[in-house]
Amino acid sequence: MTDYAPLIPIIIVALSAAAAMLAEAFRQEGERMPIAGLGLIGLAGAAAASVFLWNSWTDQTPDAFGVIRADNFALFINIILCIVGVLTMLFSHEIVEREHIPPGEYYALTLFAICGMMMMAAATDLLVIFIALEILSLSVYVLTAIRRDSAAGAEAGFKYFLLGAFSSAFFLYGIAFTFALSSAMQFDGVAGSTGLDDVARMFRVQSIDTPQTLKLLAVGLLAVGFAFKVSAVPFHMWTPDAYEGAPTIVTAFMSTGVKAAAFAAFVRVFLWPLEPMQAEWVPVLSVIAAATMILGTVVGVVQTNVKRMLAYSSIAHAGYLMLGIIANSPTNANGKAAVLFYLLTYAVSNLGALGIVALLGTAQHQHDELRDFAGLARSRPGLAALMTVFLLSLGGFPPLAGFIGKWYIFSAAVQEQYYWLAIIGVLTSVVSVFFYLRIVVMMYMTEGADVVRPRVPATAMAGLALATAAVFYLGVLPTEVLGLALDSFEGIF
Amino acid sequence: MTSFILTFITFFPLAGALLVMLAGGRGDRHDREPLVRWLALGVSLVTFAATLYLWSQFDPTSAEYQFTQEYWWMQQFGIRYFVGVDGISLFLIVLTGFLTPLALLSSWESVHKNVKLFSFMLLALETAMIGVFVSIDLFLFYVFWDAMLIPMYFLIGIWGYERRVYAAVKFILYTMAGSVLMLIAIIGLAWTHAAATGTPSFSLTDLYEVGGTLSDSTQMWFFLAFALAFAIKVPLFPFHTWLPDAHVEAPTAGSVILAGVLLKMGTYGLLRFAFPLFPQAALDFAPVLAVLAVIGIIYGALVAMVQPDMKKLVAYSSVSHLGFVVLGLTAMNIQGVQGSVYQMLNHGVSTGGLFMLVGMLSDRRHTRLISEYGGLKGVAPRLVAAFLLVTLSSIALPGLNGFVGEFLILIGAFRWNATLTAFAATGVILSAVYMLWMFQRVNYGPITNEKNRNLPDLTPREWALMVPTIAMAIFMGVFPGVFLRPMEPSVNRVVERVTGNQPRQVHSKPTPINSSTAERRAPSADSRRPDLQLGREGK
Repeated sequence: MTDYAPLIPIIIVALSAAAAMLAEAFRQEGERMPIAGLGLIGLAGAAAASVFLWNSWTDQTPDAFGVIRADNFALFINIILCIVGVLTMLFSHEIVEREHIPPGEYYALTLFAICGMMMMAAATDLLVIFIALEILSLSVYVLTAIRRDSAAGAEAGFKYFLLGAFSSAFFLYGIAFTFALSSAMQFDGVAGSTGLDDVARMFRVQSIDTPQTLKLLAVGLLAVGFAFKVSAVPFHMWTPDAYEGAPTIVTAFMSTGVKAAAFAAFVRVFLWPLEPMQAEWVPVLSVIAAATMILGTVVGVVQTNVKRMLAYSSIAHAGYLMLGIIANSPTNANGKAAVLFYLLTYAVSNLGALGIVALLGTAQHQHDELRDFAGLARSRPGLAALMTVFLLSLGGFPPLAGFIGKWYIFSAAVQEQYYWLAIIGVLTSVVSVFFYLRIVVMMYMTEGADVVRPRVPATAMAGLALATAAVFYLGVLPTEVLGLALDSFEGIF
Repeated sequence: MTSFILTFITFFPLAGALLVMLAGGRGDRHDREPLVRWLALGVSLVTFAATLYLWSQFDPTSAEYQFTQEYWWMQQFGIRYFVGVDGISLFLIVLTGFLTPLALLSSWESVHKNVKLFSFMLLALETAMIGVFVSIDLFLFYVFWDAMLIPMYFLIGIWGYERRVYAAVKFILYTMAGSVLMLIAIIGLAWTHAAATGTPSFSLTDLYEVGGTLSDSTQMWFFLAFALAFAIKVPLFPFHTWLPDAHVEAPTAGSVILAGVLLKMGTYGLLRFAFPLFPQAALDFAPVLAVLAVIGIIYGALVAMVQPDMKKLVAYSSVSHLGFVVLGLTAMNIQGVQGSVYQMLNHGVSTGGLFMLVGMLSDRRHTRLISEYGGLKGVAPRLVAAFLLVTLSSIALPGLNGFVGEFLILIGAFRWNATLTAFAATGVILSAVYMLWMFQRVNYGPITNEKNRNLPDLTPREWALMVPTIAMAIFMGVFPGVFLRPMEPSVNRVVERVTGNQPRQVHSKPTPINSSTAERRAPSADSRRPDLQLGREGK
C-alpha cells in the first residue's frame, strides 16, 4: 500500500494556496485581508511536518505513488523552501498593497510555486520532476508579469516564459531519450529485477541495448535543462531581464526558491541515477561552473541596477553551487552537503538583501538603481546596516553565513583535488565583493538627495530580523546545521 | 588550567562596541557624543589593562602557548576555537591594546561624523586584530583575518580624506585577493592532515607536523599562497601599492592602527605560519623574499624622500621599515628574528606617533603638504619637541627603540648574507635623510606661511597622546631586555623548526647568495651564544 506521509508537507502548502484563492474570491473590493497569514500558517505547517518526518525514511519505505520520497534530503530542501516562503510572506504584506499587486493571485501563485518546488526536491521519477518543474515555472512566469501596468514586467515575464519553455523542451527531450533506453521513468524500480527497468540501473549497466552515445545525449539534454533553471552560463540569458523586470519581491522569491528547487533536482538526478556517468559529465560541468562563476562576477561589476547586479551575482552563486555537485565521490558526502548548506545561506542572505530593496520601493519608484541607495545610512541607519550584513554575507565575509557556505563548497572542491575550480571560485568572490561594496559605498560614503522613503512595517522588520539572525547563526554556530546537511545524505545516494 | 583571559581580551572590545551602539541612541545624535567617546575610550583602556595583566602573568621562560583555551567549533571538520599566546604574539597583543586608546584619542576632535559608528568600528577592529594574534587554529585565524577588513574599510571609506572611497575599495580588494588563496592553501593543508591521520585538523600544532611532510612542489605552492597573502599585508615590494593610498586617505586613527598593527600581521603571519609550516619552501624562497625586502627598503626610502605630503612620506617610510622586518625574518637566526619582532613593536610605536603628529598638524591647518609649513619651532615648541623625539625614534637613534630592532636585524642578516645587508644598511642612512629633511622643512627656518603664525601648541589631549608614545619609545630603547627575554624561547623554537628539523639538501642550482647559505643551513651553537643576544645588553 502506498504511504502518503511524504506528501503531507506538499499537501499542506497546496491547501493554504487553495485557501488563499478562496479568500480572494470572497474579498470585497478594496478590503484588506491578511492572506499572507494563510500562507504563513501553511508554510509553518509544512515545516513542522518536515521536521516530524525527519529520519523517518529508510530504504524499506515505499515512495508515495512510487514517485515522491520524503528522505532527509528532500526534507532539508523543504525547510529551506519554508524559510524562503515565510520571509517572502512577511515582506509581501505591505508591498503587495503598495504596488497594487492583486493579493489573492500573488499569494496563491507563490504558494503553488512552493508546492512545485517541494515536489521537485522529493520526486524520484523523471516525469514527476518535469511536472513539478512546470508547476513552479508556470507560477513564476505569471508572478514575474503580475503587475499588469508594468511594461518591463510583461517583457520580463514573456522572455522568461519563452526561454523557460525552450529549456523545458530540452529537459523533456532528455527524459525521452532516457525512457527510450530503459522504458522507465523511475530512478529505482522493482527490487530484485535484473532488467533495465529503472533509470539508475540503465546508466549503471554497460550493455549493447544502451549505446553510450544515446546515454550521453540523454545526460547532455538533462544537463541543459537544469543549467537553464539554475541559470548557468551559457543558459543564463533570461536571468538579468527576468530579475530586473519582475516586482522586486518576486525577484527575491524566485532567485532563492527556484534556485533551491532546481539544485535539489539537479543533485538528485546527477548524483543518483546519473552518477555512473560521472566521468563523462564532470568535465563539462566543470567548464560550465568556471564560466558561470567568471561571467556572473565580471559582468556584475558593470551593472548600475541593483536588481540586475544581484541577478548576475545569482548567476555566480550558481557557479559556486555547481562545484558542490562536481566535487563528489561515493565515499564523500561533503560536496552534496555543501550544496544544501550553501542553498540555505544563499536563501537567507539574498532574500534579506532583495527584501530590503523591495521594501524601499514604491509603485512609482522601484528604488533599484545604485544611486537610489545614496545616503541610506543617514536616513535609515538600521536598514543600511542590515543591507550591509546581507551583502557582506553574499560576498563571503566572516563571521556571516555566506563565508561558511563558501568555505564548505571550496573545502569540498579541494578535498576532491579540484584546486583550479576552487581558485577560480575564491578569486571571483573577491571580484564579487567589489560590486557588493558598490552598494555599501552608496549607502555610507555618498551623500544622497533627501528622498522620502516608505516606512517599513513591523511584519517586514520581523522578517529582516529573522534573516539577520539566520545569517549570524549560520556564520557563527554552523555546526548543527552542517551536521544536518551531512546527515541528509546518510544512506540515500 | 583554562584561563579565560584571552577570550576576554579578544571579545571585550566587541562587547564594548555593541554597548557603544546602544549608548549612542538612534541616529547620529550629537548630544551623546561625549558619552560615546568616553565609553569607547574606557573600553579600550580596560582592554589595555587586561593585556598588561596578561603580560604580567606570562611565563617568560616557556616557548609553549600559554593561557590556551580549546573547544570544538565544527568537530567534523577539525575546526576548533583554539587560542593561546606565546612570546611572539604577546607583545603584538599588548601593542594593539596600547594603540587603540591612542587612536580613539587622536580622533577626539577631528571626527564629528557619526562618532558612534566610528567608535564601534575601531573597537570591532580591535577584536579582530587581537583575534588574529591569539588564534592557533588556522580557520579561526582566517575568520579574524578576513573579518578585520570590514571595519578598516569603513574607517577609511567614511571618515577618510578626499579619495577615501577609492582607497578603501583598493585596500579591501587587494588584501582579499591575497588572502583567499591562502584560504585554499589552509583547506588543502587540513585535507592533507586528513589523508595522513584520518581526520582533518586546522590546529597549527597539528599542521606543523603535516607541512614538513608535503612534497616539494605542494609545499612550494602552499607557501606561495601564504606568502602572497602576507606579502601584500606587510606590504612587500612590489605588492605595496595599496598602502600609500590607504594611509593617505585614512583618518588619523585609521592610519595609526593600519601602520601600528595591521602591517605587523603580514610579518607575524610569515613568522608564525608561512615559515614554520613549510620550512623547506621557506628556506628556498628566503633569498627571494630578502631581495624584495631590500628593494623595498631602498625603494621605499627613495620614494619617501620626494613626497610633498607628510602622510605619504610616512606611508612610504613604512614600506622601508617593514622591509627591515622581513629581512630579519628571512635571515632565520635568533638575532634576525628577534630584531624583526622587536622592530614590529618599534614601528608600531614610532610610526603610530608620526601619524598622530601629522594628524595634529593637519587638524590645525587642514593640509598635510610639507611646503605649507616651516618655522613651527618658534610657534609651537612643545609640539616640535615631541615631533623631534618621535622622528629620532623612527630613524633609530641609539637610546631610542628603533635602534635596537634595526641593529639586531642587521646583525642577524649580516651573519646570513653580508651583501644584502650592506644594501639594506643604506636604508638606515636614507631614513635619516628623508625624516630629518622633512622635520627640518616643517619645523625650522623662518615662518614662510602667515597662517602658521598663530598655531596653538600641544593641547592637554595631545599631551595625553604624545607622553605615552614617547615614554614607550624611550623605555623600549633603554630596556630592550624586558621585551626580548620573554620572546626569546618562542623565537628560538620557530628558528629551530624552520632550520633545524629539516634535513637540508644541497641544491645544485647556484643562487647568488650561495656562499653564505651554508652557515644558515646548519644552525651552529653560535646562534645560541648568549653574548650575541642583545637582549641581555640593556640589563
